[in-house]
Amino acid sequence: MSVMDLWRPTMVTNIPEDHFVVVHPLDDRAEQKVDTSELGLMPMTTSVRLSLMALRCYLILMMLLVLYHVMDLGGAFRNHAH
Amino acid sequence: MSNEVLSISTAGAEATLPPVRGRVVRKRWLYSVLTFLTVFGPGLIVMEADNDAGAVSTYVQAGAQYGTRLLWILLLLLPVTYFIQEMVVRLGIATGKGHAAMNYQRFGRWWGLFSLVDLQLVNFLTLVTEFAAISLALSHMNISPKVGVPLAALALVVMVLSGSYRRWERVTVFLCVLDLAWVAIAFKVHPAFSEIVHSTIVPGIPQGGITASLMFLVIAIVGTTIAPWQLFFQQSCIADKRLRFSDVKWARLDTLLGAVFTIVVAGCMMIAGNAAKVHGIAFFDPAQMANELHIFSGEAVRSAILLLMINAAVLGTTAISLSSAWAYGEVRGWPHSLEMPIRKAPGFYLTYLVCVGLAAAIVLIPGAPLQLIILGVQVLAGIMLPSAIIFLQLLLNDKEVLGEKYVNKPWNNRVNWTIIVVLFILSLILAAQVAAPNLFPRS
Repeated sequence: MSVMDLWRPTMVTNIPEDHFVVVHPLDDRAEQKVDTSELGLMPMTTSVRLSLMALRCYLILMMLLVLYHVMDLGGAFRNHAH
Repeated sequence: MSNEVLSISTAGAEATLPPVRGRVVRKRWLYSVLTFLTVFGPGLIVMEADNDAGAVSTYVQAGAQYGTRLLWILLLLLPVTYFIQEMVVRLGIATGKGHAAMNYQRFGRWWGLFSLVDLQLVNFLTLVTEFAAISLALSHMNISPKVGVPLAALALVVMVLSGSYRRWERVTVFLCVLDLAWVAIAFKVHPAFSEIVHSTIVPGIPQGGITASLMFLVIAIVGTTIAPWQLFFQQSCIADKRLRFSDVKWARLDTLLGAVFTIVVAGCMMIAGNAAKVHGIAFFDPAQMANELHIFSGEAVRSAILLLMINAAVLGTTAISLSSAWAYGEVRGWPHSLEMPIRKAPGFYLTYLVCVGLAAAIVLIPGAPLQLIILGVQVLAGIMLPSAIIFLQLLLNDKEVLGEKYVNKPWNNRVNWTIIVVLFILSLILAAQVAAPNLFPRS
């Protein structure tokens, strides 16, 4: 078997005795994945829910802080009288 | 798991299969090597694309300011970046869906929309910095950015238009491998090897102690080595490549090799920056450093650094734009695959085109606030990263999605919560520095 034969896939219908078949994922038949379509929202304990609420507040606050800082650096709050 | 059926050895008899494209091999080791090579790609690309233009600038600056004294941080980041991306591998293979889709589905509309908008914003600002780096490197090579930047944007669009994931992956892996030239540059600048080994394995603080610029650089190194878009990119990439359950171990190996490759290349960038410190060259940006370094290290090093800056930006741009296009396509329910031609996935390709085209156009506007954009990228990414990893961590403990086999083990959770706490502390320090610039001494 030449090196080029290893790289060039061919149509395989039967595997000779004690052989293996290497199939590229994109050439393989689609496999059954976990079906998440019916799952809906993740069930959470109260503490996890509260922690996520706190994270939400933290992120909003940080985004506003960054926005203020960037606008400040861009000269949005400079006194135009000067 | 169809490939498991195909992959088993036929013990004693010939087996008949439905027709499938593949390679028949006799040796088990050859079967393992070839299977790994078919899976190989997303792990290397997600890691090496993170050594983008911003990363080149950050690592080279760290070397130019502090020599090799911060190499130990890279060694610490190696397992961190692997552990985070390994979780993405399991999630992507188990669900066959992207990260944005999973966030929407499991955490609801608010979090789904927030992570998507934040991702698109940080990604877009990062793309502007990639094109700014291309423009900078081209101008140092006496090529007009007005010609070079649109050409680079065009090449980046052509890269994805073939309607073949494999073709895009081969080109991108080739660009990743080109980054090995950083290793040659590191050798060419004649570093002190004993000092490199010592600085890599013995943590230490550079002379001058903890200052504002050191803290900012450390946070920038962490932020540039682990970026939020990587979570979205690798999961979508794995879904697009249709990796199978039996590929998990090979995808993990791909991710580990990618992490090692990336950290080695990043270390070499720091060593190249160290050469500027050794020769007393003041650092402003990697292109200026390359220009001044050529007196000591030769024209080849200068040209290589400039070309590698462009390569880093191209790699970063294709991966980041794809993470945006995949994420947007998943949430909108549009067809979103590199395997599809444009007519079958117009929204996906249009998102990619808009990301690349708009970022390139902004860089060509005279007087665009590029410094503000670079600052915005670093701060926003720093804020977004810990929360993005929290959601990843919650998804990896979701037995309804992953089942007992792929869900996080207790040791996974201990490692990941430690990473999240450290990242949150760094994020808070960054926020404090933005709010109070005099928090740490200036020098």
